[in-house]
Amino acid sequence: MPGHRGFSGGGPASLLARVAVGIGAVLLLAAPTAAQSSAQRELSGFWINQYTPDLSVVLGKQPPFTEFGAERWRTVDTAKDPTAVCLPVGPSRGFTAPFPFLLVQDDKTISIMFEYQAIWRAIYLDGRAHPDDLADYPYFMGHSIGRWEGDTLVVDTQGIDERSWLDTAGHEHSDKLKLTERFKKTGPDTIQWTVTYDDPVYFTRPWSIERTFTRGKPGDRVLPYTCNENNKDVEHLLPHQPNLNYKHVPEPATKKPGGI
Amino acid sequence: MKRGIAALLMTIAVLFSGISIAAHHSFAAQYDSNKPITLKGGIIRIEWANPHIYFYVDVVDSGGGTEHWAIEGGAPSTLYRAGWRKDSAKVGDVVTVSGFLARDGSKLVNMQRALLADGRNLFVGNQSYYQKGQ
Repeated sequence: MPGHRGFSGGGPASLLARVAVGIGAVLLLAAPTAAQSSAQRELSGFWINQYTPDLSVVLGKQPPFTEFGAERWRTVDTAKDPTAVCLPVGPSRGFTAPFPFLLVQDDKTISIMFEYQAIWRAIYLDGRAHPDDLADYPYFMGHSIGRWEGDTLVVDTQGIDERSWLDTAGHEHSDKLKLTERFKKTGPDTIQWTVTYDDPVYFTRPWSIERTFTRGKPGDRVLPYTCNENNKDVEHLLPHQPNLNYKHVPEPATKKPGGI
Repeated sequence: MKRGIAALLMTIAVLFSGISIAAHHSFAAQYDSNKPITLKGGIIRIEWANPHIYFYVDVVDSGGGTEHWAIEGGAPSTLYRAGWRKDSAKVGDVVTVSGFLARDGSKLVNMQRALLADGRNLFVGNQSYYQKGQ
């Protein structure tokens, strides 16, 4: 029979044996790959940020401001930094401040405990959407949902309180800010963190930077940071507007597909 | 020994990196980088507390009077990882502090470097042990 041409010389028992061998071979090939994938997805640990007080230094230029965003940047008063009065640092600065963080992961949730301000983020991996009432109940660190794309964790964060800043330099954002973060292991002790800032109030288009988290030493621990313990700085802050000479040059308008 | 080397390297890094930047807020909102100052005095109080450590010194002025100065350093966790402990400096130690004056005219200095009378380096400024550059 034509359909049996490939199995000539064997009966049903032989066919089963061949299938079993085939499955075994597939499993043997797949097993190391699964283990590698598991290791690639294991983000738990004590991680050290790259201190990045000014995102535009990494970007190599100022982000693509809207007219409104440019004017806010030009006139920002760094004495009004929300963290100077111990307001929560926000998701962007949590990963760019000069303090480490502890990440704990299971199948449904990733918990991040930042040393800076002793504050946390939760990333839900259970397939949920953002809450319908998120805009009414924003949080300084935002609401985060994540999913795996291959071995890259992709996190969507919204509902970020607009009082937080993106960096120490004074880049601000609105309540329309949407962060997309991509966490990818580039080695056993390094995570590449790529973050995209999408805020149509402040920026004409999304823009991204990339940083690396480095695993801490064995025995490293999260140390106390209780901002209100002895915050005397606030008594000595004076208005400071370092960007008053900033000149905004709008980006050339791009033609929309099919447009005139 | 390793801790001492780490602290020394840290101090060197601070000296060569220019003005440190506070993680807590913009340096320039509080301090004036155009007003460097060096003070020598005896430590009268230490506050090992967040968000930044403070210690206080009595400085004898040119007229023989005593001025009280506040010295601000880095976060306790940063200093701890750099090898310093609560008792690395004690009340009564004489210290020479180099840093920058507060903009508001108060007797407050952001510490960039501090040396004890016996030659030991004291607390470093608001620079992170973990800083890896921009």
